[in-house]
Parts: sequence; structure tokens; C-alpha cells
Amino acid sequence: MKTTPIIGLEVHLELKTKSKMFCACSAQHFHIDPNTHTCPVCLALPGALPVPNQTALDYCVKLGLALNGRINRHSFFERKNYFYPDLPKGYQISQYQQPLSIGGHIKVGDRTIRINRVHMEEDTAKSIHQGGYVLIDFNRSGVPLVEIVSEPDLISAIEAKKYLNKIQQLVRYLGISDADIEKGSMRCEPTVNLKIQKDGKTYYTPLVEIKNVASLTGVQNAIDYEISRQLKAFRKTGQIKDDVNKTTHGWDADKKVTFLQRHKEGSSDYRYFPEPDIPPITYTQKQIDKIKKTIPELADAKIKKWKALKLSDYDANLLAQDQTLADLFGRTIKDSSGLDFIKGVANLINGPVRKCKNDFPQKSLKITPANLVLAVKAVLSDQISWTTAKENIYQSAKTGQNVIKLIKKKGQFQLSDTTKLEKIIKKVIAGNPKAVEDYKKNSNTIGFLIGQVMRASGGSANPQLVHQLLREQIN
Amino acid sequence: MDLNNLTISQIRQSLRQKKFSAVELVNAYLSRIKKIDPKIKAFITVTDSVALATAKKLDQKIKQGKKLGRLAGAVMAVKDIYLTKGIKTTAASQVLKNYIPPYSSTVYRRLIDQDAVLIGKTNTDAFAFGVSTENSGFFTTKNPWNLNIVPGGSSGGSAAALSANLCTFALGTDTGGSIRQPASFCGLSGIKPTYGRNSRYGITAMASSFDCPGAFARHVNDLALLTQVTAGADSHDATTSTTPVPDYPHLLDQTKLKSLKIGLPREYLSTGIDSQVKKLVLQAAATLKKQGASLINISLPSTDLSLAVYYVLVPSEISANMARYDGIRFGSSKKDTKNLLSHYMETRGKYMESELKRRIIIGTYALSAGYYDAYYTKAAKVRTLIKNEFATALTKVDVILAPVSPTPAWPIGEKVNDPLKMYMADVYTCPVNVAGLPSLALPCGFTDKKLPVGFQLIGNYFEETKLFSLGHQFQQLTDYHLKSPSL
Repeated sequence: MKTTPIIGLEVHLELKTKSKMFCACSAQHFHIDPNTHTCPVCLALPGALPVPNQTALDYCVKLGLALNGRINRHSFFERKNYFYPDLPKGYQISQYQQPLSIGGHIKVGDRTIRINRVHMEEDTAKSIHQGGYVLIDFNRSGVPLVEIVSEPDLISAIEAKKYLNKIQQLVRYLGISDADIEKGSMRCEPTVNLKIQKDGKTYYTPLVEIKNVASLTGVQNAIDYEISRQLKAFRKTGQIKDDVNKTTHGWDADKKVTFLQRHKEGSSDYRYFPEPDIPPITYTQKQIDKIKKTIPELADAKIKKWKALKLSDYDANLLAQDQTLADLFGRTIKDSSGLDFIKGVANLINGPVRKCKNDFPQKSLKITPANLVLAVKAVLSDQISWTTAKENIYQSAKTGQNVIKLIKKKGQFQLSDTTKLEKIIKKVIAGNPKAVEDYKKNSNTIGFLIGQVMRASGGSANPQLVHQLLREQIN
Repeated sequence: MDLNNLTISQIRQSLRQKKFSAVELVNAYLSRIKKIDPKIKAFITVTDSVALATAKKLDQKIKQGKKLGRLAGAVMAVKDIYLTKGIKTTAASQVLKNYIPPYSSTVYRRLIDQDAVLIGKTNTDAFAFGVSTENSGFFTTKNPWNLNIVPGGSSGGSAAALSANLCTFALGTDTGGSIRQPASFCGLSGIKPTYGRNSRYGITAMASSFDCPGAFARHVNDLALLTQVTAGADSHDATTSTTPVPDYPHLLDQTKLKSLKIGLPREYLSTGIDSQVKKLVLQAAATLKKQGASLINISLPSTDLSLAVYYVLVPSEISANMARYDGIRFGSSKKDTKNLLSHYMETRGKYMESELKRRIIIGTYALSAGYYDAYYTKAAKVRTLIKNEFATALTKVDVILAPVSPTPAWPIGEKVNDPLKMYMADVYTCPVNVAGLPSLALPCGFTDKKLPVGFQLIGNYFEETKLFSLGHQFQQLTDYHLKSPSL
């Protein structure tokens, strides 16, 4: 028996525009006093009308292009009708027949995952369950939302997670969304079933859509759980997919199980029809080309380029993950070459610079390419150690201070003066006769003596030189 | 001087010349409302204190020699589906019976900005769903020409108020004839501008792709002025047009009747029309012909489909537009319901008037899976067909002349139990909304029972200038618009 999971993902992303999708209210809603960013439009008061946010539409087009989609030059909004307290109009303005972007694909590892569509819609308000009441915060009502629908091309939970990482990285590169799952600006709903080949026959298990997954690990766990659950269920009941047995399951992150929420009786009837309050959306080829030009060099292209410079796969991928750091790297190595130099810059960016960025997420990085160049060159010419470089680059990233001045001030330039070093080494040899004996028996123990020399030099000795001189002196 | 029967420009000029004060003018209207409105029941809310406060400010402005707005002192009655900030706006429905909006509609705000004075909010069919005001959630308005007769609708309260001289002009909305038909039934002029000419922002939505705010006045030159003030792009309404607004009041003589081609659509003047109405409409056409215009018979073969298109698309849009009235954020709300579903059902069930429910059900049905293509999609296609027919006709003629309603106004209660008969009242007006064209309704005489009859001039998109010009010239040749009911 051969089992292949079939996984599709619907990803919702809040766009980081200043204002909401259909009104001038601020789109900020995380940690904002409830119902302060509201107006007649996003509260759906009588007579209020939606006016689309052009920036949001352009962002959606940008995303469609970056996912290799075909931009629909004549698209329109539609109303998706259903009643819920967090949906003040009683319909969500969305797109159904004519999404802004059709088709496309994205590379995940070596595989190509096809994209079905990318469309524009609006977020709902937020329901807060408290003391037996449902409180509604309309700050989120009408925040621009794009939906990316993949084809069911993913074949494992880990691949689904990688796909989401890729989407997250992409939209951050494009500068259109924070894609923060914890803050709810990125949400995903996997649909999972299995293709089972047994005794020369092929079976498909019923489709399950999983909701309420609040982290990337959650997505992975939920899909894994669902795959094994469906396999067990198939073995027990032999039930296969038909037109009406699609179900929605919730994800319980504590118990790590999915649970049945509801049966879909056929497809829900949302009574979509063209939104009469908003004229059709048109994009000319010229406008599309203009948006295309705003797409920066994306991670895949950068990784390819850096690997061609012989940077390791690991370093290249790690650098490309974060657009700020990737850009910093690009700018720093722009005018220089040499693998040692490039590797050195990569190490400092992936090490102390990344750490500083993570330690102070609210602050902007003060590191400059010039300081990185200075530090790496100092290391490569044996003037400082990597330890010194890392320590001071961290500080420079935090404060913007000149890295050389910092090192000078702390007296951390390496001692490479042989005469001075020999004096120190003699003292260490005299003071540690047992260690010297040990070394003579086993040369692997030299580390202790190097350490003693380093300490005696106040950390400024050039360790390679120390190693060499110690060997000469003892032998 | 009869303070209750002046044009907008006469009022502005008189105020400036200090013939009377704004407070005196408003008081004259208020005392007439007090005397007459109990018989007519045009108003849901009389905004006496707002009106007097506005008048006082205006008098102050005059005293200080400040520049006056273009509508200074013009006393307006506003259909109660226009939101007026801080002033109760009910949509004539139990759903909003105590609703005080936190913002104002664009059209109303533009009029206030030109020193118009709000005197009251007028009755209508609830949420403007109707043709007689009999669907109002509160009471039925009476026709000032005969108190046993309907004033038309849905903007019947506004038409009745103006017809009874309880205001200088009035605001209505026209989704399928709701300005032109009551204007015709009450002996007034009314403009339904091109769709997108006046902003819909702040007016409770009926059918978004049909709704057209507009005005009633006695004189076409007042309508020209009002439209100039209200029209134009609005950043709050994406469907408003950026087409520049012409200086209508100064273009009233622009269109020459000599050699003007007026189309008479066969389908509007054959079967189903009352013989007296037909006679008066053709008489109006003859009046224009006498001045050199040529009358050309044209055909709009899809006319009979308009009503069907209208009663599929309009309820479809209504079914979604009414979804916000769920009693959660504002409006009447049923307390102590047992769960969310019962909250929705009991609130909407209790407070929505039956015509609201009827149209929500029709629209929900038409949009449902399996029916959508047969109803909505088909109707949308026929809508294009109807637009094209008008477009073709308007390449052959300059303007189309047609009756407004197939019959004069009918007795109150006559059609309340037959919604289909009610819907038929829109047969000559709704095609214009289906196409989105501008149309001006003008009075053209009286039946032998002394009920007013009107006709309409339909123009091409954004050709309001032509309509006002023709209407103005017609009013120079006739005096129907000067007649008032005796009350």
C-alpha cells in the first residue's frame, strides 16, 4: 500500500497599508484600544459606502506578479454574503469570479508548487469571548487582506511548512505584509486528504479543511496528525471522498489533535454577486509593468548568486531569510571579492548583527557596510581575533560606533610582536611545568597553555602565533 | 408677500434686501406645517429648533454683511433616508425608529453648506421600498390635491410637503421612479440625475447600482441650481463621476427647441396607459413641437423586460444591503433572545416591515446557488441590452419624451394587497434607472378629477443641461407648475 498526502493551503495575509481597505481609518489593530480605529464605513452604519484603497490593490498585484501569476486586467469585487457579528455589513467584500491574479507558482526546495489565485478582500472584526459575552473589536474590520490559494501540490507537512516560510519571506521582501502568524497578520488553512494505492486500485480519502492553526509548527503538527488520522480512518471504514463529505476540523494546539467542527453540506451558499458600490478594477499593461519594477531582487535569486560566489548553502539561505540582513550583505560585498572576505562578512552578519537585531526588535540596526569591511579586514590581516570582531560588531550594530575606534579603546588589537609574546610565553612555561609535561606526552593538550598565554596578554595575543611560538619554545 | 411660495433665488434676494428675515420665513413655514401637515402627514420629524437656529445664524450673517450661500434661506424637506448628523433619521422604518446618525449624507451637507435650512424629515415607504408611502413603517402620506389619494412614492412625503407649500424644495431618491412618480402625482418638477452624478454617501442604500438622489422643486431653474450644488465627485462614493458639473442655471436657454428631435417611444404610449394621461403627455409634446421641435416615433422594444430586470436586480442588491440591520451595532434590537440565530431572526422578524422581508426573500432566492445564472446573470445581461437600446435611440433623437406613470395617482388602499399591481406603477420610470440615464419630470396638466399628471424628458448620460434647458422653456410656455392645491 502506498500513501501520498495531498495538501493545499489557503493563506490570508494582512497588508501593511496605512489605512484600511475601504475607508480612511488606520489599519493598525494590534494592541490598540478596542473600537478606536472605526468609522461609519467599517462599522457598516446606514448609508456608508466602501472606497477601495489603491495601495492595497497595487500590493496585491505585486504579490501576484512575484508569484508568477497572470494579472487580471479587468477584475471586480464581489459580495460574499453571510451573517456573523464580526461581519458588520452582513457580507464580506471579496473576489470570486475574477481575482486580481490568476495562476502562478513558487519554488519550495526542488519542487514547484502551483498557485491557483491571489485575490483581494477585507478582514472581519475580532470577536473576544469574555465573561459569557462576545465583545467585538471593529479595529480589524476592513483591514486589507489578500488570499493566496495554492493548488493541492504539497505532499508532506514539512513541505507545507516550508511553503509557508517561503510565502512569509516573499511578502516581507515585497514589503507588503509583516506576515506574523502570532499577531494574526498571516493565517493558514490547510486542506488535506490522502491518495492511497492498494492492490492496483487508487483511493482518495475525504477532504478535511483545518482551521484555527496559530503557528507554523502548528500547521506542520496539524497536517501530520490529520495524515495519520485519515489513514487510520481509511483502514477502519474505507470511506472515500465524494461531493458532499468534505468536513472542517479545528486544531487543538494543547492536545495536538484535530476535531470535527462541521460537515460541509455541498458547498456553502455565499450568494456571491458583483459589488455594486465599487466600479470594476482595471489595470493597464503600463501600470502592471510599473508595479513589476518595484519588486526587489528576491531571496531565490540572491541565494543563487551567493552560492555562485562559493558561499555555503547554509550561509546563503540564512542570509536570504531576512531582507534587511540580505541587503546589508549585498551592499557590504559589493566592491570586494575573495571567499575568505565574503565568508567573514556572512559570519558577522549571521552572528552578531542578527543577534543584535533579535535582541532589539524595536530599534533599527545601526551597522554600516564600512564597519563590517573594517572588522573583516582586521581579522584577515591578523590584527584582531574573530571573538573581538564579533563583540565589537554587535556593539557597532547597536550604537553605530566605528568598530576600529571601539577595538582601539578597549586595547583589543592583537599582539603579533614576537619579542613581546616570547616573553609572556616564557613566563607561562615557567609557571606551568605540569602542563608542559602533559603537552610533551600528548600534543592535544596545548589548548590549556594557549589559554594561559591569551589570559596573560589580556586577550590581545594572536592565537595562531602563540600556538606556533609555544611549540617552538617547548620543543 | 406669500412667504410660502417663493423660488430659491427670490428668497436669497429678499433676505439680502431685508424684505423679511430668515427667522420670519422659517416661522411662516413652521406655522403652515403646524396647520396643514396634520392633514397631509408629510413629515416624520419637523426640525423646528434646528431650522430656527439655522435661520438665526443666517440673519446674523446678513446683518454682518457676510457672503451668503447660494441657497440662503431656502427651506428644505429631506426624505428620511438621508442621514442628518445628530437629527433622527428613521428611513420610515421601525428598524431605525430611534436612530440618530453620527454623520451626514454628502448631498445634504452640500446643501447646508450653501445655507439651505432643514425644516424636517419626510415620510417615505420604509427604506424607500414602494411607490405610494403606504409601506411606511409609521403612516401613509396623503396627496395634497386629494386627501384620499396617494401622493406617490417612495419620496411621497417630500412631494406632498412641497406640493402643500410646506418647504421651498425637497430631496428625494429615485431607484425606479421614486422622485419622478410622486412629482407627477403631486404636480411638481423632479430631477433624477445620471447615475453617479449625485453622491449616495450617507443615504440608506436600497439598490446600489440604481439609487439616484435628486430634488423636487416647482421651477426647473431651482432644480438646475440645486443640482449644480449637489452634483460632482465625492471621495466617499466610488461610483460618483468626475465629469465636470456644468453651470446649469446659466445654461437654461442653451438648447434650442427649433430643429430639436424629440423621440416618442411607441412602447410607452400604446397599451396599458390611461387615456387622459396619454392625452396630456401628447399635448405637452405638441407644445414643444409648436416651438419648432420635431417629434419622432421611436421604439424601445425591451421596455417590457425592464420591470422584470428591475425586480430581479433590485431585490438582489437589497438582500445584501439590508443585512447590516441586525440590531447589533445600532437600530432596533430584540432583547433576551436565546442565541445568535434567534437574535437575528427575532430582531429582523419583529422590526422589518413586510415589504422589506418580501424583497429580501426575492433577492436571496435570486442569488442562491442554482438560481443565480437564471435570474441575476440573465437580468444583468438584459440590463446591458436595455442600455444599448437607449443608446441607439439617443443617436437618432436628442431627447426622449414619455409619460411618468401609466395612471394618475390612485386611492389610498387600492393596491396594498396586490404587490404586482404596485410594481407596475414603475413601468415607465424604472427603464431609465436600469440604464442609469438622467430624467426630468414636469407637470403637464390635470385629469378631470383634478389630479396632476406629469411627463418625463430622458436625456443621454450627463446631459442634465439639455433637460433643464428644455424643462425651463416648457415652463415658460405653460403654467401647470404654478398651480397649488387648495388646503
